[in-house]
Amino acid sequence: MYNSLTRIQNVFGFFTTVAFVVAAFIAASDFTYDRTPSAHIKTTNVQVVKGRPHYYSTKKEEYAIMKFSLDADLSSLFTWNTKQVFVYVTAEWTSPPSSSASAKSASATNQTNSAVIWDSIITAPSSDHLANIGPATLKKLRKSAAGKAVDPKRGLLSLKNQRPKYQITHPTGRIAETGDVRLRVHYNVQPWVGFLTWSQTEHDFGRWLRMKDGMSRAFTLPAVKKKDEGKKAKA
Amino acid sequence: MLSGLQNPRQLAAQVLNFGLILSTAFMMWKGLSVISDSPSPIVVVLSGSMEPAFQRGDLLFLWNRNLVAETDVGEIVVYNVKDKDIPIVHRVVRKFGTGEHAKLLTKGDNNAADDTELYARGQDYLERKDIIGSVFAYIPFVGYVTIMLSEHPWLKTVMLGIMGLLVVLQRE
Repeated sequence: MYNSLTRIQNVFGFFTTVAFVVAAFIAASDFTYDRTPSAHIKTTNVQVVKGRPHYYSTKKEEYAIMKFSLDADLSSLFTWNTKQVFVYVTAEWTSPPSSSASAKSASATNQTNSAVIWDSIITAPSSDHLANIGPATLKKLRKSAAGKAVDPKRGLLSLKNQRPKYQITHPTGRIAETGDVRLRVHYNVQPWVGFLTWSQTEHDFGRWLRMKDGMSRAFTLPAVKKKDEGKKAKA
Repeated sequence: MLSGLQNPRQLAAQVLNFGLILSTAFMMWKGLSVISDSPSPIVVVLSGSMEPAFQRGDLLFLWNRNLVAETDVGEIVVYNVKDKDIPIVHRVVRKFGTGEHAKLLTKGDNNAADDTELYARGQDYLERKDIIGSVFAYIPFVGYVTIMLSEHPWLKTVMLGIMGLLVVLQRE
C-alpha cells in the first residue's frame, strides 16, 4: 500500500493540484485591479504613395503612410500578473461593395476594413529578458526599472509625429482618396497565467473601464503623391 | 508483487482501470472540442514567433465560436495553412470585409514581416474557415512535456513502459 511508488505519485499529484489552485488564484486576481486606460491620438501627416508589395513584384499598389501623435496612459494595466502589454493602432474605414474583389459576397453593405499601422510590445520588468532586443537596449530597459517587479510608468506613452510601422493598402490595391478613415488605439494584456484581455471599446467590465477616447477624428486620405512633388517638398 | 498475474480477476480490473483513464482523457478532450467548436481546443506553442508573449511549450486555450463578435484585428489566432498540417499561432493584423469571406492577414509579434510568405502558393489572405480558434487563456510551460516527447521519441517508450509497470505493480 505505502510503497515508494505510491508516495511519489501522491506527492506529484498534490504538487500539481497546489500549482493549479495557486495559478487559478493569480489569474482571478486580475479582476480585482482597476483598469482606467485612456489614449489620445491624432494624425499629423498622411500620404499615399505608389509602391510594390515586394521587390520582385510588377504589381503597383497604393500605400497609405499615416503619421500620428499618441498620448496614452495604460499604466493601470500593469499588475503583478502582467507579462506584457501589446499596444496597437489600427486604421479603420469602410469601402463600397463594388470595390471588393470577391464576387462571392453578394451583400450590398459596405465592407469594413481595419489594419494595424503601428504596434509596440511593452514588457514588464520581469519579462524583459524574453524581449527580442539587443543587449544594450536590454541593459537600458533593465536599468529604467531597477529593483521593481512592476513598473506602471512603462504604460505612459508619448509619441510625436510617429512614423507608422506598416504601410497599408486594400486588397484592390487602391486606397487613395478614401474618406472617413479613423485611427484607433487598442491594447492586449498578456498575463503570466490566466485570461488574455483586450481593450473594451463600448462597455465597462466590472472594475475595468473602457478605453477613454482612443480614437482620432475622421479624415480623408489624399490623392497619390507625385514623385516630383516629393522632391520639391524635400528641397 | 505481480499480484495481477496470480489473480486473473484482479488483472482484468487493472486493465479496465487503465482503459478507463485513457477513455476519460479522450472524452474530456473531445468534450472541450465540442464546447469550443475547435478541432484542437488546447495547443502547445512550438515556435518563438510570438515572443515575448508565448514561449515554446506554453499551453494555449482556444475558442472558435463567434458568439459576441467576429474574429477581429488584434486577436491571436491559430490557423492551418492549406494542405499543410502545422498549426500556426499568430496575431491578426489586417481584416478586409466582414463575414465568412473577410480577408485576414496575420503576423507573429516577434517576426519582422507578415505571414504572406507562410501561406500557400497563390493565397494572399486567410479566411475564417482557415482559423481553428482564437487564444483566450494561457498557462506557461506545462506543454513542454509534449515537445520533449516529440523531439526525443525514445521518451515515449520509456514513459509508456513506466506507466504500464505502475499499472501492473499497483495492487489497488
